Amino acid sequence: MLKKTADRERVLPLLEELGGVTEENVKRVHELTGVPEADIWGSGTFYHLLKGGPGIRVCNGLSCRIMGSDQLAADLKAKGKEVEEVSCLGQCDRAPAALDESMKVFDAAKQKRSITPDDPRLPLNLGGEQNFEYAALKKARELGRDGILKQIEASGLQGRGGAGFPAHIKWKGVSSQPDPVRYVVCNADEAEPATFKDRETMLRRSDKMIEGMAIAALVVGAKDIYFYIRGEFNAEAEAVQAALKRAGDHVKDWNWHFHRGHGAYICGEETALLESMEGKRGMPRLKPPFPHEFGFRGKPTLVSNVETFACVPYIINEGGEKFKAWGKTEAGSKLYCISGHIHNPGVYELPLGATLEELVQAAGGYMGNPMAFSPGGASSGFLPIDKRNEPLDFKGLQKAGTMLGSAGVVVLNDTVDMARAAQWQLEFFEDESCGQCAPCRIGSRYLHNQVTKYLETGDPAALKHANDVGWEMEEGSICGLGMVAHKPLVDSMKYFPQAFEKR
Amino acid sequence: MSKTFNIKIDGKECVALQGETVLQVARREGIEIPTLCDDKRLDPAGACRACLVEIDGQRRLQPSCAWKAADGQDVKTHKVSERVQRHQDVLVSLYMADHKLDCEGLPIETGNGNDLRAWAKDCSTLQLEPVNAPRVARPGDVNPYIEFDPELCVLCARCTRYCDEIEAVNAITLTGRGSETTIGTAGMRGLLDTSCELCGGCIDTCPTGALIEKKAEKTLPHEVEKVRTTCNYCGVGCQMDLNVKDNEVVRVTSPEPGTTVNDGNLCIKGRFAYDFIHHKDRFTEPMIRGEDGELHPTTWEKAIAFAAEGMKKVAQRHGPEAIGFVSSSRCTGEENYLMQKIARAAFKTGNVHQCAAT
Ligand SMILES: Cc1cc2nc3c(=O)[nH]c(=O)nc-3n(C[C@H](O)[C@H](O)[C@H](O)COP(=O)(O)O)c2cc1C
Ligand code: SF4
Ligand code: SF4
Ligand code: SF4
Ligand code: FES
Repeated sequence: MLKKTADRERVLPLLEELGGVTEENVKRVHELTGVPEADIWGSGTFYHLLKGGPGIRVCNGLSCRIMGSDQLAADLKAKGKEVEEVSCLGQCDRAPAALDESMKVFDAAKQKRSITPDDPRLPLNLGGEQNFEYAALKKARELGRDGILKQIEASGLQGRGGAGFPAHIKWKGVSSQPDPVRYVVCNADEAEPATFKDRETMLRRSDKMIEGMAIAALVVGAKDIYFYIRGEFNAEAEAVQAALKRAGDHVKDWNWHFHRGHGAYICGEETALLESMEGKRGMPRLKPPFPHEFGFRGKPTLVSNVETFACVPYIINEGGEKFKAWGKTEAGSKLYCISGHIHNPGVYELPLGATLEELVQAAGGYMGNPMAFSPGGASSGFLPIDKRNEPLDFKGLQKAGTMLGSAGVVVLNDTVDMARAAQWQLEFFEDESCGQCAPCRIGSRYLHNQVTKYLETGDPAALKHANDVGWEMEEGSICGLGMVAHKPLVDSMKYFPQAFEKR
Repeated sequence: MSKTFNIKIDGKECVALQGETVLQVARREGIEIPTLCDDKRLDPAGACRACLVEIDGQRRLQPSCAWKAADGQDVKTHKVSERVQRHQDVLVSLYMADHKLDCEGLPIETGNGNDLRAWAKDCSTLQLEPVNAPRVARPGDVNPYIEFDPELCVLCARCTRYCDEIEAVNAITLTGRGSETTIGTAGMRGLLDTSCELCGGCIDTCPTGALIEKKAEKTLPHEVEKVRTTCNYCGVGCQMDLNVKDNEVVRVTSPEPGTTVNDGNLCIKGRFAYDFIHHKDRFTEPMIRGEDGELHPTTWEKAIAFAAEGMKKVAQRHGPEAIGFVSSSRCTGEENYLMQKIARAAFKTGNVHQCAAT
């Protein structure tokens, strides 16, 4: 039911300000907003960061685990520190990563991280200096709605948030709604394990992202623009704010608003993100209706990823065709994140459709004998290393039964037990499932339990029903989380059967 | 009149009205689709996934409870689609791995029924190991009527949506996340310490008996005979079903939503305050207090004559203004009419009131 949401939107920020969900805080927020206490409690308990301050947060993501996060946690505990194990922190290039009490990255990195060096020709060029002349925005104003859309269409830009949906269709979709109030939302909740490209983009090239958002707002006719930035990304939020200040008068036509995540991976899913912005539990909505018709506060809303927006200035400045030409199998250049068993984890801007082999070359080569890789975060499952020469793009990987997703690539060498890797990924999905629908809520726990049982007993009988359950999670779940949560296990069983034999 | 068009369900041509969901059309046509989270009074949640069907042109299975029928749509249910049937088989198996089962391995039934049980019987289920989800109840909740057992809860959120969308009370909420999700209150307090009005509507909408009436836990739905009656606690005229077992009212339930004025709703009195029916102190015949100060059984004729006599005496001695009439909110409109007629016509006084008037 669509409710008056104005006061509800204050619930989560207020809870955070007061120090998390406690009975007293809930009462206080109820007095301040008029939202029923139970609703405040229900919303607050959904979010990890509203549970009240723990000590050090040690990442238990795959890349950190293979770099020894368990040991790091044990060492810290031995020193008498309070340690909490948390889902991937988006710092996989600093593995094993941890955040200290004030959410600062705690440096225990074992590899030398790197990034594509400055090259002014590159569309995103993370290594370059920020530039606030905003020539693209000026040009966009001259081009007008249709002129901009023509360039976006010509560029072949696909959304970089995971689904690879053509940007121009979405932009057109929002701009052609009858409702005159529309919103632009930047999805900066980046929490897909092994993904940290939006983090680097915000830190290094907020200029491009902000300019892209302003151009999008011109096209869809939005006055209000929102950021939804992952709760742990404090330095990134500050970088965006600083850039916004520097953009100054160029972007004064719009009201810029900041929302912070509160510790829930699922809030990266666009409709869960909107629910969260409205102060509710981050449970994905049924689609249709899609956000372009029924988005934030029920209004037409363009939700797009940080990187997608950051591609836009180049497209307007240089023309869509030129952006497109950067790609190999699909349009444009792409930020690939890579971590795991390679020498220089980091974010690399390569032609879309680059292969794992090319990416690893940019990242300083393999560590040890490579055996498997994830092409796009935990959601993409695992592929055997013999696919190292396949293009990492949206359509090709989808055909191969996996996905490019957020382009969070992880390489595993032959020291890794694939059953163990699958268990780690399932632990993540069980923890992060919103719990709304049974296939995902029960299925991810079931698979996590069963692979754990297999690891304990060595008896493959524990995994007898894994394929059926995985099939149902894909068919029956509401959103993309549940649809792919089985993949790390089911795909590993397919590609690495020897890892699941009797032991 | 709203627009009508045809859709096909399992090959059968069905007439649909603009705005209807596929489930609504199917139900009218007698095509059965299982549901857990659907309650026609509530906005569709599409969360339980029981009602998924194949819709021509859609890559994914879609919830028929939320999917709008459209002209020419071709829909396949589990009766003709192997994919939908397999989906149901595994889904039910997952629900059962997260549910209290009886010795036959079926979802157990409480006094409030369990739709999952009937559905499980229709499916070829897998024997999945129990998942032992860490869901909590509210063990300290001392409210007299409502009990919650998380091990029977399928998290359809009907109770919380009912409390919000129908009662507008918002006493209960989904709380926690993932496999820990459960039904809670602010601070996990007992219902008496929340905004709860103890209407019991959450029990009524619960499909699996995770919410049960404390007083009526044991008696299973098939053991009772339902007797339709009108609630006489107030003048609204809610219809209710007395659940009768061995000549005793063991529970009160509300009729199907959409069939009576109260649309499946009742209040705390109608739903829970039925203990008086068989109470030992209940008056079951007219009585007159004698000279000895005790009540003595009598007949209606004598009792009414006695009361009339007494009132007339007061009027004679002190005048009609010395008498006032207050009727109960439990009276019907007709009874209230008669009450004011006695006041005005028989006793010639304007002192007449009704306790529900303010
Ligand atoms: C479980 C889940 C998590 C997601 N997380 C993110 C995320 O962190 N950042 C993001 O941009 N998109 C994420 N998405 C994709 C969004 O739903 C949405 O498609 C995207 O923000 C659209 O932007 P784009 O068109 O620029 O790709 C996620 C999707 C799912 C199903
Ligand atoms: S698939 Fe998982 S995360 Fe998505 S709506 Fe269902 S329970 Fe929530
Ligand atoms: S008894 Fe009524 S008011 Fe109380 S929780 Fe249930 S639905 Fe809400
Ligand atoms: S208690 Fe009943 S109505 Fe409420 S969510 Fe659980 S199963 Fe559904
Ligand atoms: S009845 Fe349709 S999803 Fe529950």
